[in-house]
Amino acid sequence: MTNGWDFFAQTIITGNLVLVQGLGIYALIKYTDNVKTAAKNGLTTLVAMGIGGLLVWMFENLMFVSLGVKTGLYLIIGVVAAFSAPRILGMRISFQENMYQSALVGSLLLLGTEGVVAANNLSLPLGAGLGYLLTLVVMATLRKRLELAPIPKALKGAPIILITAGLLAIALLGFRF
Amino acid sequence: MKTLWEGLFKRNPVFVLLFGLVPAVAITTTAINGWFLGVITSVIFLLTTVINYFVIPRLWESLRPVVKIAIVILFTVVIYTIVLEINPQVVASLGIFLPLIAVNAMVLQDPDENKTFGLHLLEALGQSLGFILAMVVLGIIREFLGYGAVFGYQITNASLAPLSLATSVPGGMIIVGLALAIVNKVRDRGGELHD
Repeated sequence: MTNGWDFFAQTIITGNLVLVQGLGIYALIKYTDNVKTAAKNGLTTLVAMGIGGLLVWMFENLMFVSLGVKTGLYLIIGVVAAFSAPRILGMRISFQENMYQSALVGSLLLLGTEGVVAANNLSLPLGAGLGYLLTLVVMATLRKRLELAPIPKALKGAPIILITAGLLAIALLGFRF
Repeated sequence: MKTLWEGLFKRNPVFVLLFGLVPAVAITTTAINGWFLGVITSVIFLLTTVINYFVIPRLWESLRPVVKIAIVILFTVVIYTIVLEINPQVVASLGIFLPLIAVNAMVLQDPDENKTFGLHLLEALGQSLGFILAMVVLGIIREFLGYGAVFGYQITNASLAPLSLATSVPGGMIIVGLALAIVNKVRDRGGELHD
C-alpha cells in the first residue's frame, strides 16, 4: 500500500506534475522568464495545492450522486484554492490568471483518480506543489542560459521552452528505472 | 468566412495563440484522443461563448471572472456526465484532461463586447475548428511515430521499430515544440509569447 511519504516523494520527481504528467505548461511558458517570478508563482501554487488538498480531505466522506458531481466539486475546490492562496500570501495575482493553471486543478483531480484517502489528500498535493516549484525554478534558470545561446528565430520563445522541458523530462524519467 | 478562416490558421488557438498546450502535450497520444478532446472542448467553448456574451457584460466587473468560471464548470460537469453516460471509454481514455477543459485558456477567454453576436460566434466556431485541427494533427503525428498507426489503422509493419517516446509527455513536449517552430517558420515569426 502506498503511504503518504511515497505519494509525497513520487510527485516531486518521478511523478512530477509538469514534466511527467504534462500539467502546468501555461505556467512553464509564462512564469519562467526570471527566477523570482517562477519562485513566486511556484510558492502560490504550492499553497493553493495545500489548501485544495485540505478541502478535498474535508469533503472526502460526502456521498456523491454521480462521478460528474464529484468532478464538479474538485473543480470548485480548485477555484476556491486559486482564489485564496494569493490572498493568504499577500500576493497580487489575479484570480483569473491563477485559474489558467491546470497544475492546481489537475493535482486535485488526481486525488480522485488515484483513490487517495485521509491525510494522503494533503501529502500528494504538497509533493506535487514542491515538484512544481522546483520545475519552474530550474526552467527559469535554464531560460537565462538559453538567452545567450544562438537559437534560430523560429525556435525562440515557446518552442525552445517546450523542447528544453521535454529533454529535462526525459532526464527525470531516468529515475523511474 | 474570413473570421472562420482566421481561427483555423492565422489565429489557431494551439499553434499561434498557445491555448490548450496541456491537452496538446498530454492527451494527443492517439488521433482519436485528440479528436474527442477537441470536439468536447469545442462544444463547451461554444456553449459558454453564447451564455457569456449575454450574461457577462451585464455583471459588475469584479463578479465577471467568478460567474464565468462557474458557467464553464457547470457546462463541463454536464458534458462530462453526458459523455460518461454515452461512452465511458472516452472518459477513461481522456482521464483528468476531460474535466480540465474547465481551466482551458481558450474556453476562459473574455468576450469582446464591441463585436456583434454573429461575429463573436463565428470567431468562436473558427477557433473551435482550429483547436480540433491542431489536436487531430498532433494526434496523427504522435500515433504514427509511436504506434505506426493512424486512427487505429496499422500503417507500418512490425519491422519498423516505433518511436515510443512520441506517445509520452516528454515526447509530446518535443513534438509540440517542433510543430510550433514549423508554424513560426511558415509565418516568419518567432520569439513572441502571446498572453
